[in-house]
Amino acid sequence: MESGANMFLQHLINGLSIGSIYALIAMGYNMVYGILELLNFAHGDVYAVGCFAALGLLTMGVHPALALLAGIIVGFVINLFVEKFAYRPVRYSGRVTPTITAVGIAYIMRNAILKIWGPETFAFDIGVRGSNLQIGGIIIGTLQIYILLIAVTCMVGITLYLKKTKTGQGIIAISQSIPTAALMGVPVNRTISIVYGIGGALGVIGGILFCVYYDSIFIGIGFALGTIKAWMASIIGGVGSLKGAVMGAIMLGLMESMVSGYVSTLYKDAIVWLLLIAFVLIKPQGLFPAQVAEKI
Amino acid sequence: MKMKMDNRLIGLAAVLAACALPFVITDEYAIRVLNVFFIYSVVALSINLIVGFCGQLDMGRAAFMGLGAYWSAILAVRFHVPFLVAFLTAGIFAGLVGAVLGFLCRKSSFDYLTLITIGFNVVCQVVFLNWIPVTNGAMGIPKVPAPSFFGFAFDSNFRFYYLALGFLVACYILIGRITKSKLGRAFEAIRDDAIAASYSGINTQKYKILNFAIGSVFTGLAGALLVHYTQYASPFNYTLDESVYQLQMAILGGLGSLPGSLLGTLILVVAPEVSRSFYEYRLVFVGFMMVIMMIYWPNGLLGKAGVGEKLIGIVRFRKKEPEEAGR
Repeated sequence: MESGANMFLQHLINGLSIGSIYALIAMGYNMVYGILELLNFAHGDVYAVGCFAALGLLTMGVHPALALLAGIIVGFVINLFVEKFAYRPVRYSGRVTPTITAVGIAYIMRNAILKIWGPETFAFDIGVRGSNLQIGGIIIGTLQIYILLIAVTCMVGITLYLKKTKTGQGIIAISQSIPTAALMGVPVNRTISIVYGIGGALGVIGGILFCVYYDSIFIGIGFALGTIKAWMASIIGGVGSLKGAVMGAIMLGLMESMVSGYVSTLYKDAIVWLLLIAFVLIKPQGLFPAQVAEKI
Repeated sequence: MKMKMDNRLIGLAAVLAACALPFVITDEYAIRVLNVFFIYSVVALSINLIVGFCGQLDMGRAAFMGLGAYWSAILAVRFHVPFLVAFLTAGIFAGLVGAVLGFLCRKSSFDYLTLITIGFNVVCQVVFLNWIPVTNGAMGIPKVPAPSFFGFAFDSNFRFYYLALGFLVACYILIGRITKSKLGRAFEAIRDDAIAASYSGINTQKYKILNFAIGSVFTGLAGALLVHYTQYASPFNYTLDESVYQLQMAILGGLGSLPGSLLGTLILVVAPEVSRSFYEYRLVFVGFMMVIMMIYWPNGLLGKAGVGEKLIGIVRFRKKEPEEAGR
């Protein structure tokens, strides 16, 4: 009985830490999703480039902090370019068109990674390998605590940024209505670029934490573990709301850890997907939909 | 009317030319690439039926290919069912699964439908990979018999060429008839404006289910035929990446244009085979192509106002046509 409860707590903690990584990835994704209703298939592959850049610098012997910062900047800058050249020209031409340019960008990024680094799995070690704390039979890695702290810091930072700064208010205005925001003097193009940039940077932070958590990096962190998970989280939590993205991501993390702990590791992905499909069919708005009046 | 005859003549000429082609190109490898092209063309056509004509962005077509392939392979290898029965029931099976998925998605909007189809693809792949008693897991199902009718086996590339060509022509004509029928017009109405369609007396949910089911029959048949050709069913052939690549075939050619699907498939199947270095950079090529196409010709090579129409416009001066309403 005692060990059963401990087991449960252990899965809970693992789920929370993986969920908070998903939350960082999903936040950037959901901001874009909410503003432009764009299924940003390139999100994961763009931040994967950032992570690989950080890996490259790390192997060259650059100080980890600098390497990580450089990775984040790479993610930011790439997303600015991608937005300018691939999304802006098709911003107002329906739903399918930008989705496809996004897939195109994802392909380009993936090919770049394959060409430069190849399809192998690399070790990803930034030298943070703390001890494990043991609290009543539950093992908590210090890494997990760091991840939670970083995730919470980023979330609080983004929330404050949106609430307190002028650009942040501009972002919220644009997410409600682009024409109205433009009439109110919000610089639409610049603001949207910033959203993409922040999305990319947050993605890189999440991606790097992911690599650190699993000690390794490979090409799949972009699409299968990034874009798709971020999308799932956004759908669970509610499209376009920051709170939704975070809660959805944490629920996704918990779901994965519980399913692999209690049901089946082999079928984990399939079961999580089936749960998600069932959820979408029952509650298509997500748990915390963005509070915007919608034209019917 | 004249235009219609023209198109038929062009089609007939193309089929005759295709029939004569193996006598000109005797390279086994080239024939093999063409065979694969014929089968993937059917997949692209089925995607076009769903995405191009009905506007449902389905990103899980490879799952249906896999369902058809595994069904046919298992029936043929384990139960020694004749090819024709295994092949046709594979289409029916894929169609039924498509109908179930369509039923689940009948009320879903764009994003959710795409997400559900992606999810379905992942679920199918996990099942193919892990349901070892039935699918043999990662080992796949080897030694799938070559297709044969009444004792005549299509066991060489050359013989299979005509089977694949016949299959493509049959599917092309069928899908062409569907798109021109009441059913096809209902699909297009749903694509253009689902609410307006429902006010015009179109049962949108019913037609969406039908669309998924019909499209899936074709995808399943193509998957089954391909597995009898390559004689090996592998769970790694039916991934999400594969689905997205297949989707590009339909998009490159032009959504809503059937000849476009053939052209798109031709480019994306043949180009990686032509040069090895192209294969390495195929994702970059495809990626740039998608971005540039979407910005300049969002309707694909042969779609409305695509490259094809521009070329025709340059070649012959057309009388000014009245602007189409509402597009």
